[in-house]
Formats: sequence, structure tokens, C-alpha cells
Amino acid sequence: MRGRLHSTSVRLAAVVGLSFLLGFALLGGLVYFTVSSLLYADAREVIRVDAGGLMDLYEDGGERALAAELRQRLAQPADPDALYALRRWPTGQALVGNIATLPRPLHGRSDWRRMRQLAADNDDDADADVPSLLLRQRVGANLELITGLRLRSESGFLALAIRTIWIALVLAAVLGLLLGGLIARWVSQRLRLIEDTVARVGEGDIDRRVGSDGSGDAFDLLALRFNRMLDRIQALLSGVREATDHIAHDLRTPLTRLRTRLEMLRADAPASAAALEPAIAEVDQLLQSSQALLRLARVEAQPPASDDPLRDLAPLVRDALELYEPIAAERGIGLGAQLESAQVHGDADQLFQLLINLLDNAVKYSPPDREVMLSLVAESGGARLEVADQGSGIPLEDRERVFDRFHRLEKHRGSPGTGLGLSLVRAIVLRHRGQIRLADNHPGLRVVVWLPRTPAISTGDPAGVDS
Amino acid sequence: MRVLLIEDDAQTAAFIGKAMKEDGHALDRADNGKDGLFLASTESYDVLIIDRMLPGLDGLTVLRTLRGAGNSTPAILLTALADVEHRVEGLRAGADDYLAKPFAYAELSARVDSVLRRALPSGDGSPTVLKVADLELDLLARRASRAGRRIELQPREFRLLEYLMRQAGQVVTRTMLLEAVWDYHFDPQTNVIDVHISRLRQKIEGEGAPLLQTVRGAGYRLAG
Repeated sequence: MRGRLHSTSVRLAAVVGLSFLLGFALLGGLVYFTVSSLLYADAREVIRVDAGGLMDLYEDGGERALAAELRQRLAQPADPDALYALRRWPTGQALVGNIATLPRPLHGRSDWRRMRQLAADNDDDADADVPSLLLRQRVGANLELITGLRLRSESGFLALAIRTIWIALVLAAVLGLLLGGLIARWVSQRLRLIEDTVARVGEGDIDRRVGSDGSGDAFDLLALRFNRMLDRIQALLSGVREATDHIAHDLRTPLTRLRTRLEMLRADAPASAAALEPAIAEVDQLLQSSQALLRLARVEAQPPASDDPLRDLAPLVRDALELYEPIAAERGIGLGAQLESAQVHGDADQLFQLLINLLDNAVKYSPPDREVMLSLVAESGGARLEVADQGSGIPLEDRERVFDRFHRLEKHRGSPGTGLGLSLVRAIVLRHRGQIRLADNHPGLRVVVWLPRTPAISTGDPAGVDS
Repeated sequence: MRVLLIEDDAQTAAFIGKAMKEDGHALDRADNGKDGLFLASTESYDVLIIDRMLPGLDGLTVLRTLRGAGNSTPAILLTALADVEHRVEGLRAGADDYLAKPFAYAELSARVDSVLRRALPSGDGSPTVLKVADLELDLLARRASRAGRRIELQPREFRLLEYLMRQAGQVVTRTMLLEAVWDYHFDPQTNVIDVHISRLRQKIEGEGAPLLQTVRGAGYRLAG
């Protein structure tokens, strides 16, 4: 989620940056095009006027006058960038001119050509080529007149324009990226507020709400809507929870009274004591179920165990083993243990309940004269607890369902138990942000519980527990 | 014995009242915190049973006020909230015991006896040797013996026996044992406690006269 959000902001920054760049490039191109066509139009006009004067001269004085005028102009140039050439047509034999590289002879009556020409002699950088504009015209029957201009200042101006545009582009790119980054950061900050809340709520901290900045913008509206949705969910949840709680609680009161009455009856009429015994046992079973249901509801309603103190699991496991040792010994079952110190944040009573429920199952379903193995391993970031028996195990297809409330395996239906033991175990594991997995012990069942040292948001997938 | 019950639920009050009277106790009842506080501070009772959630003044406040005024009558808090933090809060307010509703009357009765016994001024300060019939428990030497014959006990068995001997003659419920001896609050899944008791029974009784009785529907009692 965070990675995706991150890449979204990067994309947003890139899009904003690129749009900026593209906009500036387009603008720069347009400016360049407009300026250069204006400059060329000016140059054409100058050349056309110049060529017109020369043509008039030819009309009046013929080839001789034109050649003389050109020579005169070349000897004492009024404009050092002016280019002239007069040559025979169509042979291309040069008569007069200062154009170093002449184009091939003209095909039509006249045309415009753009060529690079050597700079004028008195120019500072005489070696450089200068873009030039040439007008070629047929004069008379066998002459071709080329009038042109070196576009030195124009090209200098355009080069400057290009440089400016490039600088503007770089600036635009930097500014765009910066702006894009800022916008993306702002957006992702706003989104992260919501995202954090979603994550926390998803982890069970339903009391969380998104902070509103009161701006009334789209994000704020989203936050408000989101909070309203959470309120509704919370109301529904607490309604369900209260209902379960009340059902369990309200069942207990009459059951307790019933039990007291049955006991009184048993005391009053010893003759029917034997008949009342199973009735009391049934009531006790119901009381136990409702107690377990209440406890389950409470554990599920509690916030994550991250605020609970840090405690070592090993003494808890030892206490649980000690509590179960006599009952296991009575059935000829050995309790083996491999324990190392492993610290987790958690509720001692709940963790003890978890151990008791797992041990109770293991001892209950283990065949006599076999061993129930318990191991506690400290792993990076948490503790790994395993309880393994050599009983008949749980078929693969039932391994998820045994965690459901009141779910009992077909073959165990006759035996005592509430069908809530593993539900409670899972509720406790989830409250501690851990994971539980049922595996095959070949033969038997191996319950693997992983508890993080600090129950925090998104613990990731710990190695080894891939349920 | 005079008992004051501060409980707003008429049914629960009737149920406790009836059973208490059958046990031969004199019972007064208040159905709200204010009247309860008034009765508790003007009359003299042997034990107070206070519901935590009461109209007007809640049970915790009643208890705190009483303790603040120097009234140290043993008190048991009744509550629908059985979480550890609530328990701790209740005990801090000055409760001697804490019982989650609903409960079997036997549980309440056993706890009433237990807090009364604790409140009794013991003649010789805190004893270092507990005695029940010919069973002796030396708390300093951590030794148990019956009729002079040494009994080997595991540490937990020692604590179990110590608790039973301190409550000698009184019914002790399984829940009380779990809380006092194992120090965890949880639902035992099966008869784990019974197996521990029967082990202890074998050790302390052996061939001798029975000492540790099972009280049906309630728990155990150690008596000579």
C-alpha cells in the first residue's frame, strides 16, 4: 500500500514536471519559429529591393553596367554581409562575385536558397560559416544574378533565442519536478493520513479516526465521509458485540439460578441425587460455553496488545506444563519441552489461556503412552511456540474451520468441550498480532504459533509461518 | 453474622438474600449507592457485598469513601466486568475480593468466609507454622509433616496446601485456587485442578484419616 502510494506520488511529480517541460518547449518552439520567420521575411525584403535595383541597372545599361556596378560594390562594400555573384547561364561560368560556394545553375526563372557561406573578411571569426539567404534570378538570355545576405546578426539573435529557450526549458524542468514533488508530497500526505487510519482500523483499532483540517476540500470531505463510515461500522460492531455479550450474560444468570436450584433439590432429596447429577453437569457445560463465549467476545473487543508489558513466555509455558503434568501423567502421556527465553508484549492471563487451551487439546487427543512436545524458540522479532501431539491430527480440509466458533470435528462430538477453545486461541493470537498455523506432525497435530515481540501494524510475513 | 448487600438488581439481591438467610446470616439490603453508603457508615457489619455498577453512586466510589473514612469492614465487589484491569481497580479501591457476575452462590459464600477469616485478628500475629489436625506446615522451613512423618511436596503443592490450610474449615472453590495458587485468571478447560488436589490428597492422607474433602458443586475443604 505504502509502496503503491509512493510510486503514485512519483508518477504525479513526473507528470507535472513533464507537462511543465512540454509547455515550455512548445512555447519556446513557437517563439523561435515566429522570430526566425520574421527575421527571414525582413532579410528577403532587403535582398529583393537590392536585386530590384540591380535589375533596373541591367535594363538601362546591360551586362556591362551591371558587372561594373557589382565590381564597384565588391571593392567598396557598403554592407560587408552583402553577397553578389553574376555568372553565365546555363554554363555557370563565374563573371563577378564574392560568393565562395556557388549553388548549381538555376532551373527556373528565379528562386530563394539558404546556404552557409564563409564569413566576410573583416569579421571577427572569419573561419566560421554563416547562414545566408540567396536570391537567384535569370537576367537577360544568358546571365544569372545572385543577390544575397549573410544573416550574421539574425543568426546571432536566433542562437541567443535558442540558448534562452534551452535555459528556460531546464528551469521549467527543474521547477516542474520541484512543483510536482511538492504537490505529490502534499497529496500523499493527505492520503497517508487516511491510509494510516485505514491500516490501523484494519488491524482492529476501530476507534481510530482520520483527522480533519476543516478545509472542506476533497480530501477533507473524503476524511469526513470515511469517519462517518467508521462510526457506522463501529456502531454496528458494538451492537453485535453487545448482543453477544448480553446473550451470553443473560444466559448465565438463569443458568446459575437453575444450577443453584438443582443443587438445592439434590440436597433436599438424596434419593434423586443420581438423576440430578447429569442435569447439573449439563448446566455446567452450558455455563462453561457461555463463559468461553464471553471471554472470546472480550478478547476480540480489546485493542491490540501493543501497550501490554513485555514479558517472557518461558515461565508461562513452564507454569502451564506444571499445571498439566498431573493430568497428562494420569493418562500416561509424557510432556516434553524445549524452551528458551522469548520476550513478547502481551497479557499474561490471555497468553496463559492460549497455552492451556493448546495443551488441553494436545493432552486430550494424544494417545496414551505417547509424548506431547512443546517448544518455545526466540526468533528475530518474536517468539515461535509449537505444541505437537501424536494423536490422529486434523484433516487438511478441516484445518481452517476448527477455529470457527462451536466447530468440532465429527469424531470428537461425543467428548467434553465447548468447541470454543481454538476460537479463543486464535482471538488471543490475533490480538497479539501473531499468526497460528496447524501442521501435520506425522502422526498427529502440530500447532505453530508465532507472536511478534511488539504487536505493531503490518508485521509482514514471518519466516516459517505461511498460513 | 451481619451482611450488607448493596445491589440494584432485585433478582440477584433476592437470590443472594435467600441463600444468605438459609446460611443463618442477617442481611440488610440497599438498592443504590447513596443508601448503601449511609447504611455502611452508620451501622456495623461483618461484611459488605457491593455491586460495582449502581444507580446514583457507583460501587467503587462507595468503597473508596468508606475506606477513606477509616471503615475497614471486609468488602467483596460484584461486577459484570471481569477483566484484569477492572479487578485491579477494584482491589485498589479497597475491595478484599472481587467476583464476576453471574456466580454460583457457593462461590460467593466461600469468598465471604475467606475475607472474614482474613479480617479476623489472628492471636499470635502471622503464624510461621500452620496446623490442621495432625498435619503441620512449617512456612519458614518450607516443610510439611503429618503425625511427625515428613511429606515431600513440590513448590506448587506447598502453595496449594498452604492456601488450603489458611482457609481450613472453609470451602475453597476451584476459581479461588487458580487465582491464589496459580496466579492466573483464566477458564480451566478440564478438571486440571481436581488432579492436583487428588495428588496432594494422596500425599497428605496416605493411609491416615481423610483431611481434604470434596464439597460437591462448590470446591474443597480442608478440615480435621
